[in-house]
This record gives sequence, structure tokens and C-alpha cells, in this order.
Amino acid sequence: MRISLKWLADYVALPADPTELARRLTMAGLEVEGVERPGEALSGVVVATILASTKHPNADKLSVTSIDFGSGTPLQVVCGAKNYQVGDLVPLATVGTRLPGGLNIEKSDKRGVESFGMLCSARELGISEQADGLLILDPALPVGTPIARALGLDDVIFEVNVTPNRPDALCHLGIAREVATLLGTTVKSPLEKVAGQGASSLGGVSVRIDDPTRCLRYAAKIIEGVKVAPSPAWLQQRLTACGVRAINNLVDVTNYVMLEVGQPLHAFDLDQLAGSQIVVRLPKGAETLKTLDDKVRTLHPDDLVIADRDRAVALAGVMGGATSEVTAATTRVLLESATFAPGAVRRTAKRHALHSESSHRFERGTDLSAVAQVAERAAALIAELGGGRVLPGLIDVYPHPKQPLSIDLRPSRVSEVLGVEVPMAEQERILETLGFVFSGQQRWQVPAARVDVTGEEDLIEEVARIRGYESIPVALPRGLGALAPAKPEVQAERIIRRALAGLGIDEVVNYSFVSPAELEAFGALDQAITLTNPLSVEQSVMRTTLFASLVPNVVRSARHQAAGVRFYEWGRSYRPDPQGGQGSRPVAFETQQVAGVLWGLREGARTWTAKDAACDFYDAKGAVQSVLQALHIEGATYEPLESSWYHPRAAASVKVSGVTLGTVGELHPRAAKRLEAPAGVFLFQLEVDALVKAAKLVPKAVGLGKFPAVLRDIALVVKLELPHQQIQAMIAEVGRPLVEDVQLFDVYTGAQIAAGHKNVAYALRYRAPDRTLTDAEVYQVHERIVAEVNTRLGGSVRKAE
Amino acid sequence: MEERLKALLESARAELAQAGSPEVVEQARVKYLGKKGELSAVLGGMGKLPPEERRTVGAIGNSVKTQLEALLAQAVGRADERALEAELQGARLDVTLPGRAQAPGRRHPVSQTLEDIVDTFRRLGFDVATGPEIESDWYNFEALNVPADHPARDMQDTFYVDGAAFGGDRKDLLLRTHTSPVQMRLMQAVKPPVRSVMPGRVYRKDSDVTHTPMFHQVEGLVVDRGVTFAELKGTLDAFAKSFFGAKVKTRFRPSFFPFTEPSAEVDVSCSICGGSGCRVCKQTGWLEVLGSGMVHPNVFKAAGYDSAQVTGFAFGMGVERLAMLRFGIEDLRTMFENDYRFLQQF
Repeated sequence: MRISLKWLADYVALPADPTELARRLTMAGLEVEGVERPGEALSGVVVATILASTKHPNADKLSVTSIDFGSGTPLQVVCGAKNYQVGDLVPLATVGTRLPGGLNIEKSDKRGVESFGMLCSARELGISEQADGLLILDPALPVGTPIARALGLDDVIFEVNVTPNRPDALCHLGIAREVATLLGTTVKSPLEKVAGQGASSLGGVSVRIDDPTRCLRYAAKIIEGVKVAPSPAWLQQRLTACGVRAINNLVDVTNYVMLEVGQPLHAFDLDQLAGSQIVVRLPKGAETLKTLDDKVRTLHPDDLVIADRDRAVALAGVMGGATSEVTAATTRVLLESATFAPGAVRRTAKRHALHSESSHRFERGTDLSAVAQVAERAAALIAELGGGRVLPGLIDVYPHPKQPLSIDLRPSRVSEVLGVEVPMAEQERILETLGFVFSGQQRWQVPAARVDVTGEEDLIEEVARIRGYESIPVALPRGLGALAPAKPEVQAERIIRRALAGLGIDEVVNYSFVSPAELEAFGALDQAITLTNPLSVEQSVMRTTLFASLVPNVVRSARHQAAGVRFYEWGRSYRPDPQGGQGSRPVAFETQQVAGVLWGLREGARTWTAKDAACDFYDAKGAVQSVLQALHIEGATYEPLESSWYHPRAAASVKVSGVTLGTVGELHPRAAKRLEAPAGVFLFQLEVDALVKAAKLVPKAVGLGKFPAVLRDIALVVKLELPHQQIQAMIAEVGRPLVEDVQLFDVYTGAQIAAGHKNVAYALRYRAPDRTLTDAEVYQVHERIVAEVNTRLGGSVRKAE
Repeated sequence: MEERLKALLESARAELAQAGSPEVVEQARVKYLGKKGELSAVLGGMGKLPPEERRTVGAIGNSVKTQLEALLAQAVGRADERALEAELQGARLDVTLPGRAQAPGRRHPVSQTLEDIVDTFRRLGFDVATGPEIESDWYNFEALNVPADHPARDMQDTFYVDGAAFGGDRKDLLLRTHTSPVQMRLMQAVKPPVRSVMPGRVYRKDSDVTHTPMFHQVEGLVVDRGVTFAELKGTLDAFAKSFFGAKVKTRFRPSFFPFTEPSAEVDVSCSICGGSGCRVCKQTGWLEVLGSGMVHPNVFKAAGYDSAQVTGFAFGMGVERLAMLRFGIEDLRTMFENDYRFLQQF
């Protein structure tokens, strides 16, 4: 909301310093986001009169003028415009001025003739787009007047951010009330008491409300014999200052009064209203209405309209209709001042995507009590400016007059909520200056314009904000002796993140929604949750796998010349829950996951040490193992996995005690192709809840063995497809309890190994808790392992040490 | 024989004095003290000597052997030292070649900031709670005192979710526009007192230079008997000083949030210019960093709390904005492009 201080000063005495006033308003909840001084840019430009004009001796298109700007001596100025006559008043930019466009005015030589300044167009002054020659000024202006004052630009404009609860502050009078309260002065309202009761008809014109839930009150005035013309300069200047375009005196008055007191108004050409009737009703059947913006709108059964005898003529509270619009030919006017239900206006405005100054105010709530007064005020102004005659009397249909709201305020509650004692007298003073009326006991009557005040807490806020939040002391919360214990999921998250960081995996944060194509590439679009109003199709489905974001992250990196990247993301995947949203049950299954992607060179670049080694499956698996180790999760098993996400030759699920913790594998070549991903993308995904359940967040220490270990290696030749996990498990089982550790240290295929076989070598560590093992003891167990390998795994021992 | 032994000793002494390398010393050891060495050869002839002479010669032989061993040990020491010296004088490594290291993985600036915020409140005794991102209209709006058709809904443009997937035809499902629904779920689940922060992703249908359709918030809620606005101020002032630095000032300004009354916008003195005015704070000296207020009685009512018994305050802040201030990130949108060159800066 733009507030002109010049205008505001009509209603309240203002302090000299606008900056301080802006601060006071801001600290009272009416945030002044900007302070504009439109005249500032025009200092140095004054009203001047053209004494004489002669042709330039050396240029056909230029003239040499003699200018008086009140300095006593005429000034010679060369000018290119033609639209003036000697004696006209025009703006003169004197030497030393810097115009809004950035042009510096200096004494200059214009093709052999000296020029001491510049005569300006409206565009050069930055006040209009039009540049049809010089701006010819009102001949009544005194010569030498600064142009800013002459044009009414010697103003200060506040850009006030009015929160949705304060429609009362969407006008100059409302801001004036607030200023008066803050400064301890009074407001002079432009509204006057209305004498007598309104009727439902006047001068042959009748008004009827068919839907009193949507239209709460409808007042109208009739003005005859008006002459539609441009508004006077002062009114145009005020509208312009507030960012409203001047149209003609009738429309301008409706806008002016709205900006003045906050009540939206509409002027109908009475001669265009069939049957001289106003009916406020819902549409009949499939009705249409052409609105002022020349769009034909099909009305929804819930759209309240203003109709004449035959048809809809306005979208109530939102926008007028084209057929009853005020035109140059209009002489009889019906001026509407009404109150429409906020919800109804909002629905209609949303439905038709029509956000108007009027709907903005009605949606938030207007002052029901002022409707008639505002009608009188605006009618009088129309008559004053448009020369018409206001019909005596008032149409005012008000089916259910609203009683003023009264609220109890317990004085002790103020200090209970604020944490500071506010004396009764101060509470009363604040509320009274805001227009609240004390009606005995603890009861306060709320001013009708303050639609936001409905409960005790609102009154407490009024006291607090006018008193100033800075007057409330600072204290730390009392009570609550016990600190909340650290939650396992919070602890586990930190451990996991540290482990991944240690592996050189960078964290990414992606949007939770992706494109259907990205999910489709994983065969994961089925059952995805779709947005009904996405910003774009690329962000239209909730991801069912984090891979749908991570693989595109790799694609982007590859496109930007990365040689290798490793990313992880901490996020959720989403699936619908058919029973979701009942009671407090969450709407969807939201699964917390941590997923990663590895691609390209291990160290992200070619290095002299690693000789360009690229990531493979075992890097991804290693990441999973590291996470599990960090969480002290033991006994994980890895099983081959069939999945549309992964390459069939390199995919595994990770389980502990039969519970799946996640999966790891190489991106399926088909998915890679659809996502335009490079080759060699490796992925892992872990379920956070399962990890937290399996984690040992506080590991228990075990004593160190006192007796020395005996180390023995074993090398086996087994079938190529025999999984390591099985061999290791067998060695551990047979070697129990003396084999403490079985570590794979070599896998070899090739020369000297039969086709279809591999050589695997393990380092075994033997130890007894209570004695030093003898060679004979170890030998015996080792031999048993060798024998079992032969019989149970169908392998052979190459050599045993 | 005695002369031979002495000659042998002198010869060895001279030879070992010349011996430069451990290999030469070893050759000398074999030559003099080896099984087939010269000492053995000389002493091998002892058997032919008469017994009394044998004893004398034996004693001399032992003495020569001891002396030989000492000479050898010295020679070994000298040779080792010389070898070490040579080794020390050898070619230097190029210490400027890069080390063999795993560069640490970087944490995304938003999640770093979020964790810092949460940790700050944990130090003030706050618990951590989370909640669903896909919500119903009731949890996201109605229960928080934002009824249908209320203009406050314009403050948060909402993404709606297709209800068909949920087996019905629900039109009230949406992506939460703030973390405030977690407040409601928390209060439904536990009795007062409550002192929690609730971090998470939120969504608004907005995309331009200063808005992304997804961002992060940290919500806070304190409910107990007799919680006051003064405690709201104290808590958030303590947070601001912990997060931005001890010198930072806070400013509480009346504002409007449907779920709190009184409501306050919290500004901190600009961390870039220190309050004198700069581009970041738009010359005001203040940065708007969070919204807060005393929990509205209607919210307590929806949660099943009795506002005659308890009061409370709530607050919420956008994590991205704080991350941008902290790291000097100028373009919000780079946060979610996940360019590796961006990520590796943090």
C-alpha cells in the first residue's frame, strides 16, 4: 500500500521527520518497506516562462528562446521542441541539474549559440512515458516554483507492507489512526454522520439483496447531471502517487475514496441498468458477464453478481461489467458502497484469476458500519468535481445489522502472556486511542474497522505493539529441568554422514519432486504421488527413489567436465498409503533414505598415484560397508539382486538377520540410456530406519587377548561362481572357536588356474583366550579346514602354510 | 706362533681401518674370524705345541680374538655410519608431489546450516522432532488457524497432491508449506511441557531469483505453564547471538502469522555491515531472519491443549537464507543445482 504523506497530513498532524515516522510505524507492525521522495530527483528544475523564441541561425530544427524563471535576468536556452507558444509556462532544468534519466545539465554550445539550461518534456522529468514536446504547465503557477511542488511531487511516499489481518490499514485514514495513536494526537476523519435511515429505493431506482449471506449490506447514491471529464490535477496527483491510474472524474473519485477510507466503491451508468434495478444475486443458469477488462466470463454458481432487471452487470466486489461502465456519455450515476462476504469474494477472485484493489480489501474485511457514510462522502465529491446533483436520501439495504463486538480483557492476562507488568491505566490508554470503547467490567467494544480483533489475545497484541515490543524484557525459559535425551535417529544420522564424508562423498540436496521420465527410467513411476498443480512437468511427481535425482546429478557433472564424482543425499521417498490421512495417520509412506552415486575416477581427477582408477561396484559396496561399520552393524550378508534399477551382473541386497537394509549395484544400462548417463555409474541406497534399528550406537568394549595369535594363510582353488561370503563363512564355522578372523587377500584367475576356476587366498588368525596355541593345535584345525573345503565347497587347496 | 698371531692382528687392524663398506667389513670378518679364517688356521696348529706353551699361546689367541672382534665391531659401526651418511646424502623426494589422500566429502551448505541451528537449540534444551512432508489441509492450515478462503493462504502458495493415488478422491492433500504442522502432530502426541525444534523440507509454488519451490525450515515450539513473550525474546536473542556472533543485536517487530498472537518478526543487525547499512540489508542495517509469536489459543484448541492452563511460543526460520548469509552465497538457485564445483566449496 502506497501512502502519500501529503495526503495523510489531511487527517493527522505529522512529525517533521518521515524516517522516524517510518520507524515508528514499522515497530508497530505496519512495516514501511520503502520511503520514496519523488520530488528529490527534480531539484534544480523550476517553472519558467518563455519570453521570446527565434529560429536558430545555424539549425533548422532548433530555436533560441529567452526564458524567465524568476531570477530577474532572462536566460538564453536553445530548444528543439515546437509545441509551445511564447508566454507558455514550461519546466526549466537549470545549469547544474541532474535529471532523473542521468543527464547532467551544463552550459553548452548548441551549434554556435550558447544555452544555459534545458526546457523539459514530461519524459525527461521521469513522470511520464510521453515525450510529445515540452511539458506545458498550468498558466496559474508562479514562475520560479520548484517543479516538484508545482506538480505535487514534493511528497514522501511510504510503501507500507500491510499484513493480511489489517485491512483497516489499507487506506490513508487507517494509517492516520495508527499514526495518531503512536503520536498521541487525534484524527480528523473525512466521513460525517449520516442523518436519517436509508431506504431500499430512491428516485425510481430499487435495490434488492437475494443472498444476504454473501452481500451483507448495500448502500447506493444517485447523482444526476454529471459531466464526465478528467479529474483536477490535485486528485490525479494523489492517485498517481498511490500507483493508481487516473481515468475520469467519476472513476477517479471511487478510487480516491477507497484509498482514503478503505471502502471499495463502484459507479454504474444508471441509464444502462435495465429496469433501474439492482439485484444482488447468484447467477441464473449458465450466465456470462463481460467484465471491465473486456473478458467474457462464464459465471460459476457460487459467483455473486450485481444484476439489473435482465442480467449480471458486475462481479460483486471484484470487478464491474463492461455494459454498465461509466463512459464519456454518462450523465446519471448509481454509486455503490457495499459489503460482501470475504470468503465469497475471495473464491470468485481466485476462480477468475482477478485480483483487484476491490477484491483485495473485501477478502480481508471492510468496515460494515461505514458503508453509508462512505457513500455520502463519495457522492458529494462526485457532485463537486463532476458538477452533478446528488439526489437527497440514500439507498441502504442492510438485512442483518451487525452489533459491535465486545471482548473481555483480564488485565492480569496481559502480564501473564507478555512477561512484563503493564499498568491498567496504560492498557486502557492504548486501547482507547485505538478506538476501542470500554464498556464496563473488563469489556471492550471493538471498532468496526478492526475486523482482525476477535479475542483477548488480539487485545494483548494491541497493547504490546503500541507499547513497543522493545519494552518487553528478555528472559530465558524457566522450568524443564531435564534435557531431552539424544534421539537414536539423530545420533545415527551424524555417524552415517561422517562415514560418507570420510569416503570423499559430497552431499547433494535435490528437490523431492522429479519428472515422470526420471522415475520411468527406473521403472519406478507406478504408484508415484503426483502433484495436481506442479510448476512444470520436470517437477511433477514425488520421487519413489533418490536415484531419480542422483543419476541426473552425475549427468550434469559429466556435462560440466567432471572426471569423477561421488554424491550422497539424505532424503525421503514417497508412496501413497491407502489408509493415509485418517486421523493423525500420515498421508503417505515417507521413507527416510540415504542414497549415493559414484562415477568416474576415484579421486575425481587423474592423479599421479592412482593411475586413473575408475570406481566400480566394490567402491559402492565399500561405502555401504563403511556405513555399517560406523554404526557397528555386524553380520551383514550380500545377496545377488534382480532389479530394474541395477545391472543384473552387479547388484546386491544388504541384509542383517533377514532384514533388508538396502541395495547396491551398477546402474542398469537401459536406465542409463534413458537418462543419458555415462557408463560406469554405481549406486547404493540404505533405509535409515532399518539402519537405526540394527545399529549399536554405543559399542561395548571387549578385553584384548593376552595370548599371542598364530597367523596362517590358506589358498584355495574353487569354482568361479562360488561366492566369497560362503567360503569365508565356512572357514569361520569350521575353525570355531580358534579362528578369530578370516581375511580375504587375493582373488586370482588366469594362467595356472583351470578354466572356470579361481584362486582365493585367506589370512587366518588363530587365538585362544586362555593359553598360547601350539603349532600342533593350529595344524590340526587348519587341516580340518582344508579337508572341509574339499568336501563341502568342491574346491582344492593349492598350498597351505 | 705368537708373532703370527700379532702379525695377523696388525694386518686385520690395517685392513679394517681401510674398510669402507659393510660388505668389505664382512669379507674381513670371514677372512680373520671365519671357520676357515686365518685365526682358526693359526690356532689350528696349537695342538702341536707343548702343553705349557699351548696355554700361553691360547691366552694370546683369545686376546687376539677379542681384539679382532672389537675391531670388527668398530668397523661395522663406522661402515654403518658411513652407509647411513650416504643414504642421508641421497636424492631428495619431491615433497611437492600431491599426497595420497581421500579428499573429505563436503556437506551441503543447507544441511550444515540446518544442523548448526538444531544444535544451537539443543544446547538450550530443545528436543528434535520431525513430521510428514505430504500433509492434509487440516494439519497444514485449518488446525493452525488458517481457515479456507482466508487471505493468509496467499502468503503460502500451495502444491496439491492428486488424491486418486490414495484410493479416494481427496482434494485436501498437499505438500506442507511450512514445518508448523509438526507442531500440531507433536502436541497431539505429547502432553506439555514441550520444548522442541522441528527441521525439514517445505514446499511452496514459487520460483524466481529469491524463491525455490522447495526449501528448508526449522520450527520451534515451547509450551508450558506461564511461558511468556519475554522468554520468546530471550530464547531467540540467545539463538541469534550463538548463530551470528555475540555482538549481534535483535529487533522484534509486530507482524502477522495466523497461528500466533501476538506475532513478531525478528530482525538481527546485519552480519555483513554490522548495522551501518549495505546492499545485503538494503541499507536498513537489519536482516529479517525469522517469524515468531505466542501460540494462538485456536491452535491450542485444535491440538487439545487448554489455553487456560498453558501458554507457549513458536518460531520458524528459513534455513537457505541463513546459509546464504553465512557462506556469502549470492544466488539461491545454485543451492539445488548441485553443481560439483559449488558443492566442493563447503
